[in-house]
Amino acid sequence: MYQDRAHHPLSAPGDTVAADVRETMWRLFEQIGKFWGNAADSRPFESRLYSFMANRVALNPLYTQYYATAKTVIDQLVAERGESAAYEYLFTDPSLNESPPVSPAALVRQLVSNEFIALQLALGGFLAFGATNYPGYFGGANVPGAPAPYRTMEDEHGG
Amino acid sequence: MVVDTLIIGSGVAATALAQRLLDNDPKASILILEAGTPVKTKDFGLWENYLISGQLPYDRCKDLNYPQKDLPGENMSVGGTEIPLIGARVMTYGGSTIHWGGWAFRLKPEDFALGTAAEGTANWPMRYDDLEPYYTQAEHYIGVSGNSADTTVPRNGDYPFPAFPYALEDRLVAEALKALGYSYSALPIARHGVTDTTSKHAPCQTTGTCKYCPFGARYAATNFLNDMLAWNDYPNFAVRTGVVVEAIDVSAKTRASAVMYTVPASGEETRVEAERIIVAAGTIESAKLLQRSTSTAWPDGIGNDSDLVGRHFITHPYFMFTGRLPANQLRLQPEMNFPTLCSRHFDSEAEQAAGKFILVNPPDTVLPRILSSMQAGARREKIDALVSGPNAIQLHGMVEVFGRHANRVTNSGKRNRFGLRETVVDYTKDAGIDTRMAEIQSRVDEIFTTMGAQKSGKPTVSWRADHAASTCRMGLTEADSVVDKNLRVHGVENLYVCSNAVFPSLGAINPTLTLTALALRLGDHLIGASSAVEAP
Repeated sequence: MYQDRAHHPLSAPGDTVAADVRETMWRLFEQIGKFWGNAADSRPFESRLYSFMANRVALNPLYTQYYATAKTVIDQLVAERGESAAYEYLFTDPSLNESPPVSPAALVRQLVSNEFIALQLALGGFLAFGATNYPGYFGGANVPGAPAPYRTMEDEHGG
Repeated sequence: MVVDTLIIGSGVAATALAQRLLDNDPKASILILEAGTPVKTKDFGLWENYLISGQLPYDRCKDLNYPQKDLPGENMSVGGTEIPLIGARVMTYGGSTIHWGGWAFRLKPEDFALGTAAEGTANWPMRYDDLEPYYTQAEHYIGVSGNSADTTVPRNGDYPFPAFPYALEDRLVAEALKALGYSYSALPIARHGVTDTTSKHAPCQTTGTCKYCPFGARYAATNFLNDMLAWNDYPNFAVRTGVVVEAIDVSAKTRASAVMYTVPASGEETRVEAERIIVAAGTIESAKLLQRSTSTAWPDGIGNDSDLVGRHFITHPYFMFTGRLPANQLRLQPEMNFPTLCSRHFDSEAEQAAGKFILVNPPDTVLPRILSSMQAGARREKIDALVSGPNAIQLHGMVEVFGRHANRVTNSGKRNRFGLRETVVDYTKDAGIDTRMAEIQSRVDEIFTTMGAQKSGKPTVSWRADHAASTCRMGLTEADSVVDKNLRVHGVENLYVCSNAVFPSLGAINPTLTLTALALRLGDHLIGASSAVEAP
């Protein structure tokens, strides 16, 4: 934890996510929006995803391995099942949510996919469910004379 | 080492007081001693970690649970009612405002005269009007957004920032309160806004992660201390962290001369002499420090000749009622992390003897749990049905309880992870509180029914010590109090307590704004300025 005085023993300079791993992680992120139909275009969030991954690695260097494992698992699932079925399995199979994770696929579900879902909702995926603000979303300030950055009591139909 | 002003504790009271003294004299000699260590604020990676995992970087700075059968813990609860300390306070540089909700209420005028209304309680040695100018200053200092036209509590100055508009989640409860004739108002909250008021703090971006604000928009003393140390030219102002004050030296009965502190990490011991000493270490630690500062002159601890230090311990029972809406037609969801509507209708003179209470519409009135549903693998259609279908709703609030001599905190012989002496909490609730909660439940059931919701069951009640107070209460004489109206310990000319510990009573609201007002008032007292200060 970089906020403590001690340097994390696993922290090493240059410990970054490989380019091909980043690409697979981006595809995973895009698939969340497609599967739940809550993001027609995820591209505006690509840089936020990469900075998120870099911050996860900085906080816990094991994330470099989690992301590399995710690429291996996703590549394998896609080869076995085809793209659509692979992601459906990863997103919905209940056995992958059993804690603690005991398989590479369960680890990917819990420490990569589920975290990306939380990020995707906060970046704007929540909008599809009817609200205009959400915990983690930068809704904007309360500026006098301007519309509030969330649905208010005065909204006629609740937004 | 010798300093002019020594402050023990680095929370909002210490920070506001130090700022007031430095505004008067930028070269003032001030040293703050803090047992905790710094936590990084406004860090994007730590913020994202909170967003994803719910883990806060200051979780490590909280008390542990009380020891249990097979689990070691910290502190002891020996009374009839367990008062949890875990999560109630944060032992870190900047203190507990790093985790507070920012609710910035004023007490009402009648709160200063509780002793007249309820048997066995105490009056404040001042009136509301004495503190009113400092309330306005405190609202500007911590950056409160509120409705300046609200007449719930008398006020002479405006809030620095406008109130956040009522959220859509407030509509149902607002309509019900109105139909029942119960008043409601905007909840004043210490989040910076946008006006022509000059502020170096970023405005709230309604990000809804207030427990770790990525911008520092919600007041946290941590950020203010950082600014004071990094930006301003205060050559004689310093904060020392990771040190535990063991005792205050008052070998001469009427004058405190020094404090002794240790550095747990190294065992190093240091004595600091000071012209005046301010104990601003929170309700629990302030009382414990006075208790353990014994000498020939003060055999039972400083200011404790009447056996009042640590006694009259109170906090707020925080209640959460849950009802059920048959459908969520407005697709209400928790859009923010802070409430915008409260009702102080029952925080009134008429309710005072029985125990005033406030009601708050929480920011997650309705909680469809979209995230957990997606993570569990639910399909889109199922989540849509979840959002618009039957949903639980909540109403929260706090009720005033009264200080009793038997309820107290004392020092344990053990030390916690920070080197502080652990705490023994001896608290037993009044027999009448269960009856009072039943009365509150009948009011809440009325509201839920008017909203078209199913009635609530019994509430969840948390006795957590977030609003702990009254252990060094202020009053007119040494026989009934520990400090005088200027927060000076009776009988000691240069020792003060600036903490919720000095409150003779809590009212039904969060104490932080009142504490900030008292800290600014103490600053003026120490400077020797007139108490009649113009509102900003």
